[in-house]
Amino acid sequence: MTSAVTIPRHGGTGGPTAVAARARQVVKAYGSGETRVVALDHVDVDIARGQFTAIMGPSGSGKSTLMHCLAGLDTVTSGQIHLDETEITGLKDKKLTKLRRDRIGFIFQAFNLLPTLNALENITLPMDIAGRKPDRAWLDRVVETVGLAGRLKHRPTQLSGGQQQRVAVARALAARPEIIFGDEPTGNLDSRAGAEVLGFLRRSVTELGQTIVMVTHDPVAASYADRVLYLADGRIVDEMHQPTAEQVLDRMKDFDARGRTS
Amino acid sequence: MTVLKTSMRNFFAHKGRMALSAIAVLLSVAFVCGTLVFTDTMNTTFDKLFQATASDVTVTAKDASDTGETTSRTGKPPVMPASVLGDVRGVQGVTKAEGTVFSTSVTVVDHDLDKLSPKSGAPTIVGSWNGNDARTMKITSGAAPEGPDQVMVDADTADKHHLKLGDEIGIISVVGTHHARVSGIATFTVTNPGAAIFYLDTKTAQQTLVGRTGVYTNVNLTAAKGVTDAQLKKNVTAELGHTYKVQTAKEVADANQKDVKSFLDVLKYAMLGFAGIAFLVGIFLIVNTFSMLVAQRTREIGLMRAIGSSRKQVNRSVLVEALLLGVIGSVLGVGAGVGIAVGLMKLMGTMGMHLSTDDLTVAWTTPALGLLLGVVVTVLAAYLPARRAGKVSPMAALREAGAPADARAGVVRAVTGLVLTGAGGWSLHLAAIADQAKVGSAWLGLGVVLTLIGFVAIGPLLAGGLVRVLGAVMLRIFGPVGRMAERNALRNPRRTGATGAALMIGLALVACLSVVGSSMVASATDELDKSVGADFIIESSGGAKPLTPAAVKAVQDTPGLINVSRVKEVPAEVTLPNGSAQKQKLLAAEAAYPQDVRRTTLSGRLSAVYGRDAMSVGSDFADKNGVKVGDTLKVAFDGARTARLRVAAVTSDDTTVDKGRMYTAITTVGRYMPADRMPLDLAVLAGHSGDEHQVYAALKKAVAADPSVTVMDRSDYKKNLRDQVGQLLNMVYGLLALAIVVAVLGVVNTLALSVVERTREIGLMRALGLSRRQMRRMIRLESVVIALFGALLGLGLGMGWGATAQKLLALEGMKVLEIPWPTIITVFVASAFVGLLAALIPAFRAGRMNVLNAIATE
Repeated sequence: MTSAVTIPRHGGTGGPTAVAARARQVVKAYGSGETRVVALDHVDVDIARGQFTAIMGPSGSGKSTLMHCLAGLDTVTSGQIHLDETEITGLKDKKLTKLRRDRIGFIFQAFNLLPTLNALENITLPMDIAGRKPDRAWLDRVVETVGLAGRLKHRPTQLSGGQQQRVAVARALAARPEIIFGDEPTGNLDSRAGAEVLGFLRRSVTELGQTIVMVTHDPVAASYADRVLYLADGRIVDEMHQPTAEQVLDRMKDFDARGRTS
Repeated sequence: MTVLKTSMRNFFAHKGRMALSAIAVLLSVAFVCGTLVFTDTMNTTFDKLFQATASDVTVTAKDASDTGETTSRTGKPPVMPASVLGDVRGVQGVTKAEGTVFSTSVTVVDHDLDKLSPKSGAPTIVGSWNGNDARTMKITSGAAPEGPDQVMVDADTADKHHLKLGDEIGIISVVGTHHARVSGIATFTVTNPGAAIFYLDTKTAQQTLVGRTGVYTNVNLTAAKGVTDAQLKKNVTAELGHTYKVQTAKEVADANQKDVKSFLDVLKYAMLGFAGIAFLVGIFLIVNTFSMLVAQRTREIGLMRAIGSSRKQVNRSVLVEALLLGVIGSVLGVGAGVGIAVGLMKLMGTMGMHLSTDDLTVAWTTPALGLLLGVVVTVLAAYLPARRAGKVSPMAALREAGAPADARAGVVRAVTGLVLTGAGGWSLHLAAIADQAKVGSAWLGLGVVLTLIGFVAIGPLLAGGLVRVLGAVMLRIFGPVGRMAERNALRNPRRTGATGAALMIGLALVACLSVVGSSMVASATDELDKSVGADFIIESSGGAKPLTPAAVKAVQDTPGLINVSRVKEVPAEVTLPNGSAQKQKLLAAEAAYPQDVRRTTLSGRLSAVYGRDAMSVGSDFADKNGVKVGDTLKVAFDGARTARLRVAAVTSDDTTVDKGRMYTAITTVGRYMPADRMPLDLAVLAGHSGDEHQVYAALKKAVAADPSVTVMDRSDYKKNLRDQVGQLLNMVYGLLALAIVVAVLGVVNTLALSVVERTREIGLMRALGLSRRQMRRMIRLESVVIALFGALLGLGLGMGWGATAQKLLALEGMKVLEIPWPTIITVFVASAFVGLLAALIPAFRAGRMNVLNAIATE
């Protein structure tokens, strides 16, 4: 399969459009001339609203770059990216920052929390920065969901790795962003803690209608998603709906083999 | 060898992080070297001048009592008869002898009555043009003075005051005012540091300065070939005896140099003291830098330990880095020091003191001392962080990297700090209640040192509390940004404590001195209101020189004055009833003096003091020597017959005005002292009848002919006092600025290194939507909080010191405590701005940080 538009087959519910974010002909290149390296090569992608999308691919495939560009953390060399109806390519830092603050949630692989703030303060940080009051009922529900009720006054150093990631998930959910981006959110966790965090993400999509995009190289993590996009050499090479861990693993092996023979 | 290599690599890899520490070392070393080079150069300049200007042997007239004072009390220089010249001409070994007349008790004015004296405090000299001076001066325009209406001026003075040939100048001396026109301008062939010199011909000089011809102040002798100066001196002394001072060129130069040197030494040690304070402050900066470098490198050090580096090696590698820092900072500092010295010389030039860079003196000890100080201080400061680095366990390599864990203020340290602060506080208390100045100042010194060390030790502890208070007061309004700034300031109390403490030291001194200074002014003003009845005080500018008789007469002739009293200071030897004698300076005045300066008498009446052969004594003197009213004391006035004066009053010494002074009447002194030895009046005090403003204006007009005379009314006097104290304080503040600059660099350093350390956090916050502006504001607020923390500590501590010092000085009459709130509040507010300034670059860098790179940073 060549890089192409991936039409969402499952329409979102209740949103103005079924597409939460879309990329058109996105190119991200570093350097120039001989040393030019293309990380993203004319990528077209649509992220469906209310869905859990996983982006997979081998190291250097451009999956993280794609996520960073979609999330407004990185700039593109050419092409366009829209978040809902807003074109974010070409936005100035000020607008981009505001966009991230108000409309996007993040979960990173590690170092998600500010060590000086306690769990609750970390969760409400994006809203605090924006000067918004958190929705109390929603906040309670999110905290309840991720099971942190008893640990809200703890500092990050007093929490386990799994708990820290759950705080990060809660932070991402609490502000009710249009879209949450996860960069290997379970990469640093053991399988039990990882499963817990992925479970929360899955439930937030199913039960709360949240849109999530997650970069991962773990087939088990990808199996929690509704749809998996495969990236190789900066292009989308395949996608899979309602995947299982085995299917994903098989597909990955397939790529590996192809990679080796070509 | 590998240790050195790793250290070198680490050093150069992190040179940016070391830059501010290096600047701190540089500044302190530069100040030390600058001071040394500058004072050495001044010494060289004067030395050369004195060597060049002295003749082989000089015969100088001396007073009956050789007080060695530069300005004579009588306003006339001591002289010898012209016959001495004839006597020495015949002495074996003399090829040339020349009599000269010189005086510094003069005021020279131009035709607008503007003073032609140097502003730098260098003397104004009027003398006879002679062969000896011709050796070091060249007449560059016009001709040597000849006849009573000609005067020659040195080129620097002519330049400064735009004097041309033919311009009229006035020479005001005790004899009167002599007018002459500039006939020539002479240029020094050696560097003249700034004295203004005017030459007349010998006869005119004699008339103008002494009032009669046939006298000399000096005779300059030139030795014949093969005769040493010492031999010549011996021959001359054999001829003249000990009536006159006979000195070889070297002795003259040395004697002159001694005065200059002692002044320069005071200057040197004062400036080195301030450099020392800057060093002390720099230590905090260096400690912080290395602590942070070690913390950031914990994993790396753990790895080194894991693969087999010993503690000692790790420890040493950090110290070697410190050594490199010290060497680089000091070497640059030595260079900058020479620059500072040249800058100071230029600055002196603008103030009218000419110093030539040809005389620039860099003794080998200067760079050696600079290097030694810089390196030793740096390595010592890095010692603790280095030890901490040695203690890093190999396990650290395996732990997850992140921002270093919160360093808590140690319990031991807190307890030690509290004990020291407590002991210091107790010492200060003892100083405040001490009833002897000597004991009290010892306690004060101890208290200052102990509280300072104590505060540094409990700084981290105080940081916790004070930063929270500051946060509650001012950061809350900034919402989450303010809260994060507060937390960041609190996250490493040790670091915040040390950064604040550095600022504290400088500001504590500022606060202490400002309290003492304003208390001094307030006390003096208070005392003035209480005890000075005179409305006007007329004295020479600065009060150093006596008034000329012409000026005094002009004052006395001014209408509308009452209670006019002249005041003289008369040195005398007072013999006690028990037969022992002591030197005293009696204050001789006129009968109106008790109305001008009100004194409390414990017994007797002050009015009786101004009767025939009477005097008063202070209560301390009376108590100590068992003198009471009615006793008679033998008083030997200098160069006069011994008088027997009856004690007519004992004055209370519980005052600052004329404390301990013995009073007598001018008429009494006059009965024993020949008129030509009578000291001139130091001041005239007077009250007014009629309109004060009119009298004031009339007085000013009366003395306008002599610009060296100042007329002050009470408010002038107070203002003068305030200005003098203010000037002194400003100078000290200026010198303390160095320490404060280093402390501010410390704040910049802490913030800059924190920003580097928190790269990931900054990335995260930016990703989560913290705008650049908010980020910059966060850093700025953290900086402001640290600066205000340091200011609070410093001002609090300094005011405590100042108040204690005032209590102690109350023994010396400084009875009023005045806290200069405007100054204190200004310093506090300025600290906030300093905080903003310090955060400028770190905040800019934090704002500019690329979000993605920041997140990816390990």
